[in-house]
Amino acid sequence: MQPPLEKIIEFRNVIKRFGATSAVDNVTFSVDAGATVSLLGPSGCGKTTTLRLISGFEDPDEGTIEIAGESMLGKRPYERNVGLLFQHYALFPHMTVAENIAYGLKHRHWPKAEIGGRVREMLRLVQLQGFEDRRPGQMSGGQQQRVALARVLATGPKLVLLDEPLSALDAKLREELRLELKQILTAVGSTTIVVTHDQDEAMSLADHIIVMNRGRIEQQGTPDEIYMRPQSAFVAAFIGRTNWFHGRISGTPGDAFLRLTTDAGTVLAIPGPGPQRSEKWSVCIRPERISVASVEADANRPGDNLLRGQVVDVVNMGAEIHYIVDGAEGRAMVVEPNREGPRVRKGDNVRLFFRAEDCVVLAQGDG
Amino acid sequence: MSGRLLDNVFWLAGLLMVGVIICFLITPIIVTTIMAFDARAYLGPLPPPALSFRWFAQFFSDDYFLRGLTTSIQLAVISVAVSVSIGISTAIAVDRVSFAGKDALISLFLSPLLVPPVVIGFALLLFLSHLGLVNGLARLMCGHIIITAPYTIRATLAGLSGIDRSLTEAALILGATERRAFWDVTFPLARTSIVSGAIFAFAVSLDDVAVSIMLTDANTYSLPVALISSMRANFDLSIAAASVMLMLVTLTLILVLDRFVGFNRVIGQGVFRS
Repeated sequence: MQPPLEKIIEFRNVIKRFGATSAVDNVTFSVDAGATVSLLGPSGCGKTTTLRLISGFEDPDEGTIEIAGESMLGKRPYERNVGLLFQHYALFPHMTVAENIAYGLKHRHWPKAEIGGRVREMLRLVQLQGFEDRRPGQMSGGQQQRVALARVLATGPKLVLLDEPLSALDAKLREELRLELKQILTAVGSTTIVVTHDQDEAMSLADHIIVMNRGRIEQQGTPDEIYMRPQSAFVAAFIGRTNWFHGRISGTPGDAFLRLTTDAGTVLAIPGPGPQRSEKWSVCIRPERISVASVEADANRPGDNLLRGQVVDVVNMGAEIHYIVDGAEGRAMVVEPNREGPRVRKGDNVRLFFRAEDCVVLAQGDG
Repeated sequence: MSGRLLDNVFWLAGLLMVGVIICFLITPIIVTTIMAFDARAYLGPLPPPALSFRWFAQFFSDDYFLRGLTTSIQLAVISVAVSVSIGISTAIAVDRVSFAGKDALISLFLSPLLVPPVVIGFALLLFLSHLGLVNGLARLMCGHIIITAPYTIRATLAGLSGIDRSLTEAALILGATERRAFWDVTFPLARTSIVSGAIFAFAVSLDDVAVSIMLTDANTYSLPVALISSMRANFDLSIAAASVMLMLVTLTLILVLDRFVGFNRVIGQGVFRS
């Protein structure tokens, strides 16, 4: 069933300055009802300011923000129907779990008679029945996280904002809660914006990712698009691991493959049709798109790339094996799924094999 | 070898110093307490041959002292109430906004802690008589508010700085207005600090001599001022009795403070994670 594509939030040409710098610099995006969108970027990229602009803790200097079709200009946080899950939960330490969850209901003027039932319903949703009378200080980080989520969802906000929702938890718990968080958000059908610097968090929770850098949107798209087809060196470098080659492009426009001649003199096949100007270009290839081949391997199809190198390190990560290979182009990283242990050893001479189609050609940037 | 010897000497010297300090802190208090229960009608050598409550009785039969006591209690209660309000509002205003010269402003608020009380008293006396305020109680009240406010301001500031700003923001985004968020979140979490500031302020007001002595008039004087005046006129042990009672009040306040703060600390254990 296709949900109606109502825009829950519309951010248009928003600028927010702090002193001389623009924390948010002409940002425009919108989120459809029921969607989960992630604002992803390094610290200082403007994602937190964006979140605070949506919450109403900051006012934009320019541009408009609409929530459910209503302009939010000059509206206080309590005049907006927005829920915010704080990074460190911000549970009220002097109130019980039930009081924490009931707080929003009380101030959103729910009838007194319904509050108790709603609190129990929320506790059931986050699987914390029986914890009503605990205080946040007596609970584990994961439990506090759930209480905070219950508190956010209790009032049924139009838009739910999650600020680095899993960063305060340890790795194991993070994985568990990530899945649970996704299920809960799907169950209540909320429209969600996840603000995070952690690509795993963004990739796993969101169906649409907005990558931000220096106050601007670098790229937006599905997790697949962002990962497979980064549009800037920054995105390619920020999301996942990447091997880089820098050089000049040559070839005939319209050909299936072009050539990249690197600074070290290696010639690589890259996907065409593409740019032909002889400026400097960067080509990136994901480590799992490269495989380690024996020295005798041959390039037998157009578009095959084979590079010589020597293995300097082999790391067994359990699910996958990382090979670090040094060659004429510098250091490359190869990631292969771990089937029967490492296929080559440290010190082995190998060739690295990858296809031109898996390369992404990008203008040389600040990535 | 000599290094170790010197270390030991310094250790001993340190211990000795602690002992001396304890003696000088405790002995006078013990002597005063014993003297207050002295049954003799004159100042005699220690120890007193018999104990009684006669000096306490004398204290409570003396109108001069009782008047001082009444004034002192009035002063303490009212000036603490006023300074707590001043402390809360000032601290919130200063805590909420950041501006150039904020530290300087805070120092200014706390300056009565550094300016000698005699100077405060004298300056206030001149200032208030220029304003035409000659009522003794009103003058004393001004003085006591000035010397107690730094305690309430400082305590409230300390309390507020321990409260994560995101707690207030959480209340706001859950639908509470700024005022509601203050009463629901900020105030309960700062309450311990506010109370401890108030108790300090109460003790300061009750014990003050230097400021009060400047602002006293013939009919309005605080108990410590009364004690000093009467000591000059006719020295007797009802002053010791009064001192014991003042100490008891202070001790009670300290116990209450410990109880209150300790109690809350247990309840709020591990709450300020961020």
